[in-house]
Amino acid sequence: MTTTAGRVVPSPEPAPPAHRLGPVERLTSTDHKNIGVLYCVTAFLFFLVGGALAGVIRLELAEPGRILANETYNGLFTIHGTVMIFLFVAPFGAGLANYFVPLQIGAPDMAFPRLNLLSYWFFAGGGALILLSGFASAGGGAAMGWTAYPPLSGLAHSPGVGPDLWILGLAMVAVSSLMTAVNLLTTVFLMRTAAMTMWRLPIFTWNMVVVAILGLVAFPPAVAGLSLLLIDRRLGGHAFDPLGGGDPAIYQHLFWFLGHPEVYILILPFFGVITEIIPVFSRKPLFGYTGFVMATVAIGALSVGVWAHHMFVTGVVDNPFFAAMTLLIAVPTGVKFFNWTGSMWGGRIWFTTPMLFAIGFLLNFLIGGVTGILLAAPALDYQLSDSYFVVAHFHYTMVGGAVFGIFAAIYFWFPKVTGAMLREKLGRIVFGLLFVGFNVTFWPQFVLGQRGLPRRYVDYPPDVGFDAPNLVSSLGYVVMAAGVIAFLVDVWISLRTRVPAGDDPWGGYSLEWATTSPPPEQNFVSMPPIRSERPAFDLRHPEARP
Amino acid sequence: MRTATKLLIGLSVFGVTVGTVYWFVTYEWTGSVLLWSFSLTPLIVALFALKHGWMRAAEPEDDPSASSATLAGEDLGAFPTATAWPEFLVLGVIATGASLIYGLIMLVVGVPLLAWAVIGLARESRS
Repeated sequence: MTTTAGRVVPSPEPAPPAHRLGPVERLTSTDHKNIGVLYCVTAFLFFLVGGALAGVIRLELAEPGRILANETYNGLFTIHGTVMIFLFVAPFGAGLANYFVPLQIGAPDMAFPRLNLLSYWFFAGGGALILLSGFASAGGGAAMGWTAYPPLSGLAHSPGVGPDLWILGLAMVAVSSLMTAVNLLTTVFLMRTAAMTMWRLPIFTWNMVVVAILGLVAFPPAVAGLSLLLIDRRLGGHAFDPLGGGDPAIYQHLFWFLGHPEVYILILPFFGVITEIIPVFSRKPLFGYTGFVMATVAIGALSVGVWAHHMFVTGVVDNPFFAAMTLLIAVPTGVKFFNWTGSMWGGRIWFTTPMLFAIGFLLNFLIGGVTGILLAAPALDYQLSDSYFVVAHFHYTMVGGAVFGIFAAIYFWFPKVTGAMLREKLGRIVFGLLFVGFNVTFWPQFVLGQRGLPRRYVDYPPDVGFDAPNLVSSLGYVVMAAGVIAFLVDVWISLRTRVPAGDDPWGGYSLEWATTSPPPEQNFVSMPPIRSERPAFDLRHPEARP
Repeated sequence: MRTATKLLIGLSVFGVTVGTVYWFVTYEWTGSVLLWSFSLTPLIVALFALKHGWMRAAEPEDDPSASSATLAGEDLGAFPTATAWPEFLVLGVIATGASLIYGLIMLVVGVPLLAWAVIGLARESRS
């Protein structure tokens, strides 16, 4: 089935109500908004699975002593890491991009709708294989860590079919990301509405452009690495086998050439989200739009040259080069912090739930970033590598940053997607539980790392300084879990007893706020004039139009 | 397209520069090839843009003073509303890929399913 799409002809008629999709339509519709919702809902389900696995890990570590077998524990942290990184945070960003990028640039859909749906199914199929690899595979699940370094991931040490399913699933998720990247770039470059110049793009869209370019650059080497690993395991290859003339360090290069840009593929969409939120709730334009865009491009470019800071302790990389490149990234990231604080400075700040999550993001990510600078120094990294300090640093960027960005996005854009408001009081409770729970969970892990507890150990000796921080960390997990449950209750109540949101409940700035909630088929009934990077604001305040 | 093309060319130049610096600092092949390959991806897209976009007169989306009436009614082509082929295609990919793990017998299911889905998708996109 096809429909003809054209640019909006101004119409005095109100938008027809959005068509409610049935289950089959929901799974086959190529409308970018439907695919965006599919991505976000699927990714959130994966988050619940990954979060439950984290709960079992924290239960094991709450006190010295053993509940789980070694292999079970290894499988838990392998699947937890893979699910959270590749099946939750990254696809949630892709889902938001699917839904909002065409709206923000005034396009009726993504450039390649079928490819878009194919990307989603590659993600969903790959995700199912990854889950199967951990729990339903004969002869042993995937238990080699989310990095799958050989020789641990080789057939000799991981003999079951779990690692093979994991490799196949991850390769499919990577292909999905590549297809999404091509689609996003084509859409933004070729389908913008009149006068929506690149220098008027909303920051979220700009960030997704950089993320798409990073995806195009970083995923192919990773797919190559995973394919070689599968060939080594199943077809007798020796790419990473030193006895056959191979080199396991090459796998690390290929993996981390994805792995570090991947950190920015994960976080940049949510830099974009909070940059949409902070100016709106500070009642000011973004401070330093051009500088912000340049900083995003600089972060994207530099992130490709820092992969081997994950390999300092291997002794086969040039540590000063990668330390210098890594420290350089702090500069554009610092510029962004000036942009965010400058946007709030002197504003009439409206402390809604999305804004609270955005501020929480800033505080948490600052700690994650600063500890990243510590780890960029090889001398310190040699001490802290593979310790709980790294675990804490990583979770401060990925949970304190990206996951808080996800919740900020949900509370900000839920009214646009559903036409209903989430409950503000309940939202504040969700924020409070998640913010306190997160810091209680992960701050003690910095202490554990400094005291020398290695990551990925199923047990630890009592009375050497590991007991109390581990117990506190596990209690923090309970508080976070309560926050997630409260969030699910909030969504349930808000969808059951709907409080109509109107088209623009926040006084938003970008183009999605100039159409109905939820948006109609092909997104717009009439297109407002684009005169700045804040077209919805210009529409409400014609007197302020430049 | 001009800003986008400049961005892509800039990234490509950055990749060549960093890759070359890295080579002379380390003489290490893997990283150097990866960094040089980083410059290739944006260059390919930029070359396409140069061929199809750069030389054209400024498009309404690149004109800051254009009005929405400029593009009103412009035909963007036929957009599909629904398709079930991607689901079958992905099932075909999974079954074909699983032949590496569970044996060539999986190809009996995977290859026909994959071929059917690819042909179906291609035919649907032409209709």
